[in-house]
Amino acid sequence: MKVVPSRSSEWVRPVTPKKPASAIIEIDGVSQVFQTSARKDHLALSDISLTIEEGAFVSILGPSGCGKSTLLYIVGGFVSPTSGAAKMKGQAITGPGPDRGPVFQEFALFPWKTVLGNVMYGPRQQGVRAAEAEAQSRALIEMVGLKGYENFYPKELSGGMKQRVALARTLAYHPEVLLMDEPFGALDAHTRTRLQNDLLNIWERDRKTVLFVTHSVDEAVFLSDKVVMMSKSPGRIREVIDIDLPRPRRRNELLLDPRYQKYVVDIERMFDEVDETGSVS
Amino acid sequence: MISPLALARRAAPMFACIGLLAVWQIASLALKNDSFPTAIEAIRAIPDILGDKESLINILASLRRMAIGFGIAVLVSIPLGLLMGRSRAVAAFFNPLLMVIYPVPKAALMPIIMLWLGVGDITKTLVIFLGVSLPVIYHSFEGAKAVEEKMLWSGAAMGLSLLQRLIRIVLPAALPEILTGCRTGLVLALITMITSEMIARQSGAGNILFNALDMGQYDTVYAMIIIVGAMGICLDAIFERVRARLVRWSEPQFDMPLSFS
Repeated sequence: MKVVPSRSSEWVRPVTPKKPASAIIEIDGVSQVFQTSARKDHLALSDISLTIEEGAFVSILGPSGCGKSTLLYIVGGFVSPTSGAAKMKGQAITGPGPDRGPVFQEFALFPWKTVLGNVMYGPRQQGVRAAEAEAQSRALIEMVGLKGYENFYPKELSGGMKQRVALARTLAYHPEVLLMDEPFGALDAHTRTRLQNDLLNIWERDRKTVLFVTHSVDEAVFLSDKVVMMSKSPGRIREVIDIDLPRPRRRNELLLDPRYQKYVVDIERMFDEVDETGSVS
Repeated sequence: MISPLALARRAAPMFACIGLLAVWQIASLALKNDSFPTAIEAIRAIPDILGDKESLINILASLRRMAIGFGIAVLVSIPLGLLMGRSRAVAAFFNPLLMVIYPVPKAALMPIIMLWLGVGDITKTLVIFLGVSLPVIYHSFEGAKAVEEKMLWSGAAMGLSLLQRLIRIVLPAALPEILTGCRTGLVLALITMITSEMIARQSGAGNILFNALDMGQYDTVYAMIIIVGAMGICLDAIFERVRARLVRWSEPQFDMPLSFS
């Protein structure tokens, strides 16, 4: 895997004319069966087909137990689908790779490494020289707002800070697609809002493809170009909604925007419908 | 700035030792039994033992066997434990085997081992090896099993192979647990070392102890117990220092996480 320094160069992404977006991830008829006990099988995902375009911010939204994380793990190559296939740039996904960088709700930082050590881990693994990897990592740590914390260990950081480190660690090896698995799910509301804003700011710099799993409607609408609404038991795609809101998005403007409000209300209603079949929550 | 309380806490082990010796001294004086020398008599015998070349060679031989047995046990047990923790097949194969060996006192195996390998160094080192292995395997196994799946996935996404993940993620992540096992193993090494020398008496610290007992030199017996005990305390203290340094990143801290998102 060669290290791509940045995909923001002009010739990679011409500003005008807008070329038709090409598919980067294709999910084709994916089903996933889990064996819950000796005799019972649970159909977690049923015949999912989805195409994700390069540079798009796509959220997968659904109630808990709809298999949205499983779908992300399949794209990540961490889980093999029972049937169907997922492709990255036309190549069948057979396992994890540095072209798809995960960010987990559990942070999954390496606790024996400092913040800097965590962020440098990916580039070092890919053969980037130590001095260069360190310079890049320091810049990334500053970008996620953690300048001054380079030599802290994960246990010394708050949840929000840990997730910032996790994001920097994944960005450090330049994946083409970011796979975010309810990344802000374990954070308090205020921290969550701040991280959403910062994620958007970072994303708007180079517009990497993002696949973002969440169960929060306003998070999905605020961040995404496209929201994939899933229903549960079995996990199916209920609807794909294009979020046609201008960028760059500012929270204070967006919250007052009737179009944003309509998206949230409509999708919340849809959410209630798909969740009705399940338990009362 | 050391508060009086902290000072008292630090001096506590010393007070405990002095207290123990005082009780011993009084009890011995009160009982007036030939086979129960006073603490002072026992302590007086220590320089004689440590000054004697042959005794010293014996004690060093014991330590050497212990170091070799412990070292090999750690080198074999950690990889085995980690593999068991990450592979169900490996665990399924070794678990029943270990469950059978676990409750058997390793010294009880000595007669058989002596029949095969004689009464020399190999037998004693092997017994020490067996004594150390089980806690180290067990703790490495538990440590490896507890490693967060997502941490391994993160490594896999960075391009780490299965073996690299085992060495560079599972090993450091499980290190606190592994070192807990090694600490238990170190104490067991000392115990099995002395026991093995009691059974196959030829050389070593245990041999000095039991020779003195045979010859009725009770002050030497007690002096040897003090020496062996002190060796154990020192080894454990040194190991604890190393351990604390290696896993500083995992020790719970009393200062709260920074309140910043």
